[in-house]
Amino acid sequence: MSQVQATIAQQQFAFDTTEVGRRLRDVLPEPLGEHYVVVAGRRFPPKQVISLMTGLDRADFNSHQARRILSRLGFTVGRRSRATPPASPARRGPHQGHEADLLRPFAGRWVAQRGLEVLVAADTPQAVLAWLERHNQHADAMFRVPGDQTEATGLAPA
Amino acid sequence: MRFAFKELPGTSGYYLRPAVPVTVEGIARAPQLCLLDTGALHNRFAAWVADAAGVDLTGADEERLAVGGFVTAARLASVQLTLGEVTWESPVWFCDPWPLAFHLLGQEGFFRWFDVRVRAAVYELEIEPEA
Repeated sequence: MSQVQATIAQQQFAFDTTEVGRRLRDVLPEPLGEHYVVVAGRRFPPKQVISLMTGLDRADFNSHQARRILSRLGFTVGRRSRATPPASPARRGPHQGHEADLLRPFAGRWVAQRGLEVLVAADTPQAVLAWLERHNQHADAMFRVPGDQTEATGLAPA
Repeated sequence: MRFAFKELPGTSGYYLRPAVPVTVEGIARAPQLCLLDTGALHNRFAAWVADAAGVDLTGADEERLAVGGFVTAARLASVQLTLGEVTWESPVWFCDPWPLAFHLLGQEGFFRWFDVRVRAAVYELEIEPEA
């Protein structure tokens, strides 16, 4: 467990790694911009996290401040890559398995996908639809990522 | 219209499925992933789609059927579906429970309206509306 003191918008705040994880447990990530932070296996916009933890308006701080605090707390922070990973000729499929790799962490959950990117993942289809509506987003496809072989193969053998 | 096969993760490796995103009238923000099931007579969708799309299933024809190792209750409604730029009115059986990752497009509600070429060697579908 880590604790970090930080001053944002001339106010002093104390952050706690465990508390961040607890507060985000039932929160769906908002659409990602350039930056993200990984909390409990999910990517969040850093400003969403800091805003939630402090109650501050997002205009009161910038992404770099948010990233720095979350990084000091021990969370992985990153910048999204627009580049397509190099294809591996040894793997099958239109994306050489890259799409399956991106979806694997969401097994058993409902996702909305744009391109290969997962916009949102939730435990129910209703939660996914509500998120798309709330954030005025359109997906290319929505489905449940298979949690086992039966869900993936349906009627036909694999 | 061309669609790439869908790569779905499995317990070991991954599965390549001929599936396409179909927009159900009333759920424009989230096209539903549907498997092209040449062996299916009818379109079979999860029942939650009817709820989300505002499709009234009260008094609808109902049947119980076995699909892929499970038994489900299916209710029939006519809904507007869109694939790419093509929209058609289709009978859909809405099923509960529905444990599959995707919905199913069958002969009556899909294949009779489209010319479908499955190019499995290159993981691609070519789909055009029937003239």
